[in-house]
Amino acid sequence: MSDEKERAELLAALHAAGAASQEDEKELQALLDGDPSLEDVVRDFQDSIAALASSFDPLETPPRAFAQIQKKISRERGGFVNRLRSWFSKS
Amino acid sequence: MAEARPTDPVDLVAAMAADDSGAPLKEFYALYASTVLALLMKMLGSRAEAEEILQDVFVELWRRAPQYDSSRGGVVAWVVTVARSRALDALRARTRRHGHDQLQFFSERHGIGTEGGRPDVLVSATRWHQALRQAFNRLSEEQRSVLELSYFLGMSHGQIAETLNLPVGTVKSRILAGMRELRTMLPIIHRSMVA
Repeated sequence: MSDEKERAELLAALHAAGAASQEDEKELQALLDGDPSLEDVVRDFQDSIAALASSFDPLETPPRAFAQIQKKISRERGGFVNRLRSWFSKS
Repeated sequence: MAEARPTDPVDLVAAMAADDSGAPLKEFYALYASTVLALLMKMLGSRAEAEEILQDVFVELWRRAPQYDSSRGGVVAWVVTVARSRALDALRARTRRHGHDQLQFFSERHGIGTEGGRPDVLVSATRWHQALRQAFNRLSEEQRSVLELSYFLGMSHGQIAETLNLPVGTVKSRILAGMRELRTMLPIIHRSMVA
C-alpha cells in the first residue's frame, strides 16, 4: 500500500472511531474531494464501528416513550406551522 | 397467508420522511429503540438520563430523515451516530456541571460487554448480538481500549495518548489496527443480519 493510501486509511479510521482532530478532518476532507473512492473506506469503517456500538444486549424501552416522542414531534410540527402562518400573515 | 416481510430499513427512513401518519416512525422505533437504549445506557450509566435522551434521539432521527443518504452509510450507522452524538453532549454537560471523571465512570462500567443479569435485557437478544460479540472478542485488549475511549467517551487521539500515557503514534496505530480488524468482521455481521 502506498504511503498516501495508508495515510488516507488512517485518517478514515480516526474519523470513524471519533478520534480525529480538526486538522485530521480537514485533511481527510481534502483527500475525499480528490478521490471519491475513499468514501467506501470511510463507509466500511463507519458501518463496522456502528456494529460494535449496536452489539449491546437490547434493553426494554419504557412503555410511554413512543407517545412522548410523538408529542414532541407534534409540538415541533405545530411550531413550524405557526411560524409559517405568522410569516404569511406579515407578508 | 404469506408472512409479512420486514421493511427494508432504507425504505423505512424514506417513508418516515414522506409520511406524516407516524406509522413508519413507529415501525422504525420498534426496530431500533431497544438497541439505542442499550447504547445510551452503556455510555451514560443512568437509566433515567438514557430514557430521556432516547426520546431526543428519535425526534432528531425523524427530523433528519429527509436528509438521510444511504450512499454515505447504512441505517444502523446513521442511527448510532445520532445516538452517540447526543450521549456525548450529555456526558460533556455532566462533566461541566459536576466535574465527573468520565474515564473512571466508564471503566467502572467495564466498557464493551454483555448486560447479562439485568432485568430489563430483552430475551430477544439475538443471533445478531451473539455474532457481533464473538466477532468483537477478536479485538486485542489494546485495540479495544483505544476504540472505547475514542468512540464511547469522545476522546481525540491526543487525549487518549495522554490518558494512557502512550505516544500519539502508538494510539493511532492501535486505532487503525482495531478498525481494520472490525472491518474484516463486516461479512460476518452482514451474514448474521440476514440469518
